[in-house]
Amino acid sequence: MTDTPNSDDVSRRTYLKLAGGAGTATFLAGCTGGGGESTTESTESSGDSESTEETSGDDSDSSTEYNALEVQHWWTGGDGGAAVQALFEGFEEQHPDIELTENPVAGGAGQNLRAVIKKRILNNDPPSSWQAWPGANLQPFTDADKLEDIEESVWDHNDMKNTYLDGPQEAAQPAGNYVSVPLNIHRLNNLFYNVEVVEDAGVDPASIDSPSALVDAMATVDEAGYVGMAQQTNSAWSTGQLWAQVLLGEYGADVYADVTAGNVEANADAVRDSLDIVKQYSEYYPNDAGSISWQDANSKIIEGDAAFFHQGDWAAGMYRGQDGFEYESNWDHVPFPGTEGLYSLNMDSFPMPTNNPSPEATKAFLRYVGSVDAQERFNPKKGSIPPRTDVPQDAFGPFLQNQMDDFSNSEAQPLSIQHGLAVAPDALTAFEDAMASFISNYDVEAAYSAVQSAFQ
Amino acid sequence: MSTHILKRLLDRLRDGGSPVRTDGGTAAAGSETAGGDSDLGSALSSLRESDAVRSAPFWLPPFLLMGFFVYGAISWNIVISLTDFGGLTLPTYDPSTFDLEMYRRAFSDGQFWIATRNTFVLLISFTGLSLAGGLGLAILVDRGIRFENWFRTVYLLPFSLSFVVTAVFWRWMYNFDSGLINAFLRGIGLDFVASKWLTGSIDTGALGAIPLVPDTFYFKLFAVIFALLWQFSGYAMVVYLAGLRAIPNDQYEAARVDGASILRMYRRVILPQLRASTVSAAVVLMVFALKAFDFLYVLFGSNPGPTADILSTMMYRQAFSANEWAYGSAIAVVLFVVALTVVAPYLYGEYRRGEL
Amino acid sequence: MSVRDDLAERVGVDLEAVDPLRVALYATLVGLVAFYLSPLESGLMTALKTEAEFATSPPFVPPTVEGFTLEPFGVAIDTLSSAILNSIMLAVPATVLSALFGSFAAYGLTNFEWRGQLGVVALFIAGIFIPYQAVLIPLSRLWAIVDTQSLLAPVLDITVFSAQVPVLGTVELATHPHYASIINLIITHTAYGIPITTLLFRGYYKKLSTEMLEAARLDGAGAFTVYRRIVLPLSMPMFAVTLIYQFTQVWNDLLFALIIIPSGSGPAAVATIALNELTGGIIQTFNTQMAGAFVAALPTLLVYVLFGDKFAKGVAGGT
Repeated sequence: MTDTPNSDDVSRRTYLKLAGGAGTATFLAGCTGGGGESTTESTESSGDSESTEETSGDDSDSSTEYNALEVQHWWTGGDGGAAVQALFEGFEEQHPDIELTENPVAGGAGQNLRAVIKKRILNNDPPSSWQAWPGANLQPFTDADKLEDIEESVWDHNDMKNTYLDGPQEAAQPAGNYVSVPLNIHRLNNLFYNVEVVEDAGVDPASIDSPSALVDAMATVDEAGYVGMAQQTNSAWSTGQLWAQVLLGEYGADVYADVTAGNVEANADAVRDSLDIVKQYSEYYPNDAGSISWQDANSKIIEGDAAFFHQGDWAAGMYRGQDGFEYESNWDHVPFPGTEGLYSLNMDSFPMPTNNPSPEATKAFLRYVGSVDAQERFNPKKGSIPPRTDVPQDAFGPFLQNQMDDFSNSEAQPLSIQHGLAVAPDALTAFEDAMASFISNYDVEAAYSAVQSAFQ
Repeated sequence: MSTHILKRLLDRLRDGGSPVRTDGGTAAAGSETAGGDSDLGSALSSLRESDAVRSAPFWLPPFLLMGFFVYGAISWNIVISLTDFGGLTLPTYDPSTFDLEMYRRAFSDGQFWIATRNTFVLLISFTGLSLAGGLGLAILVDRGIRFENWFRTVYLLPFSLSFVVTAVFWRWMYNFDSGLINAFLRGIGLDFVASKWLTGSIDTGALGAIPLVPDTFYFKLFAVIFALLWQFSGYAMVVYLAGLRAIPNDQYEAARVDGASILRMYRRVILPQLRASTVSAAVVLMVFALKAFDFLYVLFGSNPGPTADILSTMMYRQAFSANEWAYGSAIAVVLFVVALTVVAPYLYGEYRRGEL
Repeated sequence: MSVRDDLAERVGVDLEAVDPLRVALYATLVGLVAFYLSPLESGLMTALKTEAEFATSPPFVPPTVEGFTLEPFGVAIDTLSSAILNSIMLAVPATVLSALFGSFAAYGLTNFEWRGQLGVVALFIAGIFIPYQAVLIPLSRLWAIVDTQSLLAPVLDITVFSAQVPVLGTVELATHPHYASIINLIITHTAYGIPITTLLFRGYYKKLSTEMLEAARLDGAGAFTVYRRIVLPLSMPMFAVTLIYQFTQVWNDLLFALIIIPSGSGPAAVATIALNELTGGIIQTFNTQMAGAFVAALPTLLVYVLFGDKFAKGVAGGT
């Protein structure tokens, strides 16, 4: 319903936890000081943006004395809530000497948290760290010099540089140096399908080798009386995700990277053609696509009304929560046609702000986030995979194990456009405008020029 | 002294009915008639002087609070729109760097013009349709029906709901497969009218040749307007009903004696007397039209697409998603100007009629 | 003479006669009732259905016995109860304050006469039409800079507050620094409510008898005495209108809450925000959404069902 993809929390069983969690969380300690400190520095002039050095009073003898750590995130319920609690428990076991305050801000797939963080950063009153989609999302922060280089203090530890693949490492360096630590990965180039439906229609998903071939498969499904693709067009983000995968599948990772880097004109045919393929897909959307959410759309897969579903792999969380709807026998997954060997990334990460209220404790926390222990605790609960490739697979279910294998063997890990990993917030907003008009008129030429001006 | 006042008051109440209904002269009229004699005039002017002072404790505190938040904030917003405030660096409020760059950018932004057009369409059609709907309801309810209070409350009920709530209802009302709108249309045999109300469009055909009429007519904005009409026509009804009741019975009587048909009676006799009600309802309806952001935001997120994008959603998106604060401010200033173009004629009209 | 007879005479219709026009009138009225209530009715029916039931039956049909459940309401109340309390703590003071300020201002601007008055009135009235977007960025900056919590610390510790509430049980409130933002919201809503309340009261006060107030004044009654003894008691119908109107506005506001409460959905969230998250967030189950919509709308619905009459009458007095 809100305009951002929700990579979160989809198990029905854990729904009630959300209800409990939001109301009962109380934070007596820890944050009361924060407000007071901020006023002295928050003038409306930009003169204070230079204060990149740690502020006064912080412990120089970092070995024992830590300032209280304040971590903000939007995992308040469901899978995400359980996962982040497991993460914090693990951290507290390793660092009983650090007082950790979480300060969750739920809602809108992080939209609300991002607003809070922006406000605090503008006031030079950042939390110690927060949940952030990395990559170009962090560009406004690096442009304003609000993030600290953590290569030495974090990335040189725990063998991180060798165990993170290139894609995640690139996303951690929006301005060329390491400022953030990815914790988990959601894959975007998925095609989910209802096994019975495709069998009934006589389509073999594994044999669909390109996004354009998927059109034919959907036509076949359609003739058999099912919805081809359970897509929502109530808001534009799902279409933004879908177009990115079509571009990737039809034209490969290099063209994709070139387009997101701003060279749309050089790849005009690829962009136009991929938009046209999405337009062809739209013939096979459900009739009520315009008034449903992605969860409603996914229900059409569960109920056996639709054959294919494109979404990030958080969609599998809904299947997991559905009794009697099992992996491989009822639903299954192939990489989005044409993207075999690629692992399209959306990630959550934790950055290190300048003017940090607790620099040493934050570094300790970020080192922990980059460790095997943290990622092994967090990801199975979240339904995501770890960015480290050396995390043991035992704790993960069969679907995630397969995803982990795909990830380890992937030749490239393109960054998500729709989640702002590949393009900065202003470009993303313009891109969403383009997609919002595209889904209202499917005018390929207009969408092309809108995308072109968004990315330039 | 108080007994004296109360006695007068009671007299007043006794012979005038409710004091509210008395159309005794306004304060202004009263003093003008008194201002004939010059001695009395100077005395009155000193009284006026003291009136300004005596009334200040009442209006000044609210004025300061309101002024700070309304006009102070708008001025600040205008200043921001002249800076290049963007990203995560606070602006330098240095007048030498102020320019109109953000406005230039807006005027060359196609999206901006679409949003401006939609804003006007929403403002005008929503207000007009709600007034018409409200008047129709009021006339029906005024026909001496039983259970009048009950009907009135039902029609007014949606007015009490939040946009967040009504958006949830209507997103679902408009569902192509299971929504009530299409269920109803199919139920009465109008299957071919059932449409994808939030994404669909219709070709205007030959009408498209007329200036200002688009070739393709998208339902989305009108789906929004229809939902808002549902929500607010009840309010217009209440206001009109009050207006109808204020019209003396003998005018109905006279029209009836003249043998005027009901329709004619309403058109010739009644409608012209509802001007004040229309203005009063329109004011409130426009306030709600300007707040339609909430409805769109809940229904579609911050980007409803070009067929329903309005300046408020565009402003929110630019400022709070894209971090283009200054650009968002400039769009907001334009929205403010749009609101002014609506309010200025209203204020002037009221002033001319001496009703300000 | 009863109201009905009065009306009958006025519109020239004999109420007792059964004529086709009359039947058509009632049919139209009832049809309109269906139109105005159907979204609410469908919502309520869905809120009472299990997932299996609402997926398979038309929305407006009541649940079957086995498809009936109150669980969605349980979930909705659990999720929204603290937000609803927050909304009450926000809406009640903000409503009362802006109604009072509006009454003061209208009195000061109507029942006195001085040069420049109309200019001030125009500024008040123009304030009604301010699109909130035009003040959004300044507001978000303002409340980011002003630290209400610290400012209030000497007089009021707003970090701890708990309340025993019937039905909901003990509710811990305000154990969060962001709670100060409720106070920020109260101030903001009060300020932006003043123009419309002033207009409403002013329309009413203009019709108060000038002579009466003048007489009181000549009797030596001060401006405050006149207000307290005459204007205020006579304002009650208008207070009913403004209180109902403002309460609805504040309760239903989403935009200011989105901008001013820094934690968005944290413990300081108000009902609209919490509902938006319930519906837009994690799990989309229509029955829970609808139950949530009803729970969040209950206070304003109640206000209208109980006082809708007063509101209608008051609006009548104001125009």
